[in-house]
Amino acid sequence: MGFVLEVLRDALEALSGGLGGDLGAVVWLTSWIALVATGIAVLVGIPLGTVLGLGEFRAKRSITVLVNTAMGMPPVLAGLVLLLLLWRGGPFGSWGLLFTPPAMVLAQATLAIPIAVGLTAAAVGGLPPAAKEQLAAFRLPRWRRGAVAVREVWPAVGGAVAAAFGRVISEVGAVLIVGGNIRGETRVLTTAIVQETRQAQFGQALAFGFVLLGMALVVNAGITWLQFKDSAQ
Amino acid sequence: MSALLELDVRYPTGAPRVDVEGFRLAEQEKLVLFGPNGAGKSTLIKVLAGIIAQAPVPAAAYLPQAPWMFRGTVRENLEFGLSSEGTVLARAVAAELGLTDLGLQARQLSGGEAQRVAIARVLARSEEIVLLDEPLAAVDLRDRAEVAGIIRRRLGRRAAVIVTHDRDDAAILGDAMAVMLDGRIVQRGPVADVFAQPVDESVAGVVGVANVLVGEAAEVDGNLVSVDAGDLRVWGLGEATIGSSARAMFGGETVTILPSGSGVGSARNSWTGRIRAVRRLGRLLEVVIDVGHPVVAIVTPGAAEALDMASGAEVVVSVKATAVRVVGGD
Repeated sequence: MGFVLEVLRDALEALSGGLGGDLGAVVWLTSWIALVATGIAVLVGIPLGTVLGLGEFRAKRSITVLVNTAMGMPPVLAGLVLLLLLWRGGPFGSWGLLFTPPAMVLAQATLAIPIAVGLTAAAVGGLPPAAKEQLAAFRLPRWRRGAVAVREVWPAVGGAVAAAFGRVISEVGAVLIVGGNIRGETRVLTTAIVQETRQAQFGQALAFGFVLLGMALVVNAGITWLQFKDSAQ
Repeated sequence: MSALLELDVRYPTGAPRVDVEGFRLAEQEKLVLFGPNGAGKSTLIKVLAGIIAQAPVPAAAYLPQAPWMFRGTVRENLEFGLSSEGTVLARAVAAELGLTDLGLQARQLSGGEAQRVAIARVLARSEEIVLLDEPLAAVDLRDRAEVAGIIRRRLGRRAAVIVTHDRDDAAILGDAMAVMLDGRIVQRGPVADVFAQPVDESVAGVVGVANVLVGEAAEVDGNLVSVDAGDLRVWGLGEATIGSSARAMFGGETVTILPSGSGVGSARNSWTGRIRAVRRLGRLLEVVIDVGHPVVAIVTPGAAEALDMASGAEVVVSVKATAVRVVGGD
């Protein structure tokens, strides 16, 4: 018990001391990578999920199975595949993205898109039959129909956004592989925790963990506020 | 008149199943689909609306049985899927239906108000065919005739198919009526004819035997209105503008048959005529009396015996004015 308390005290000390010089850079990188990746997941995943949820087509069931499987894809596997694609000599090696933040965004978006698609499809597909029938009766253009459906199930779609963000911000395997955890360049909070833990700097590691939790708390509080605000109507 | 819509609807796997050959809707026709729950009326209208993809159908404005209010204001819900002219029209119809506060959240509306929003938005659409599934189901009884009148007027020259299982609604909204039983149309004809002359006992059981006299509102006396249908003047309760078209409706069980030459008591509606037909209707008898217009009465076999009802016999027919409903037409 004494050990844990000691680590906790070290963590609090590290927090009050500003966590060394590169905390700002790490938090900044973590934030923008997570937000951009979540943004991509929202922009790509919500429309695709709406099509999957509302549409009636033959491959619907098979695609749903694939998406649901992808929702649980191991991040290290996604990272490895992306590494191979971006490796010098790989198909996209000439882009020179490996071990840069854009590669990390790509990795996180890859993991978050299936979550946005799957949860949106489930939410929209779960609209009551009467709502779907009324929607069809409006004879709206396809994109408008989708927009009305998404708005109708907004709290659940907001949940999909929160889940996508949660996946992205907590993920370590893929960003480690394609980012490389280069100090000052591609180090984010999760990889920093891994790094500090490896070096037995437990207090420092735990402090990064607190910052990570704080960020997740702020973003989820925002999403939840929006969900409740709208579902009251 | 040429048919706007003509198709076979076979939906054997549906619950309820539907099997209608040569379903037809003429230009400007207002056709009521009448029948008990589970007869396949909603399934048929969903096929016509293209909601159930069973046959290629022309575009139609469709009001589902359970209209859905989406997240957002009444105004937003009123305007879904409408052109800008449609929007103006929808607001006018909504105002006529008594919807004033369009800024409210649509989810907070009562069932009847939500139904009015749905009615206004479907009537404001531009399609030439309008399909209404139980448009008055959620409307309060006391407002139904008025709302039905507004629907009728706002349909204008468009053709419409209207599902209902209410006799009054059918009489106000329809010109023609198709009775559905077990997925089939068992009788089709002018509303008054179907009510007055069901083809068999099963149809009679569904429509109830009713008299619908179509004519012109002639006189108003307090809350009583008279309708002149041919040579017959019928008094009933209701509202209608003098000189405009109106319908008088009464059930066969409200008609009393008396021996020829009887006094008529307090009944305003009392006519002399001859019995044209006597038919069995389960345990009762259906008697058709020609008083210048066929009137259908439902009597017990005992009453018939006491009166010696035979075809051709002269009798007096009376109906209390309070048993007759009068509704203004178009």
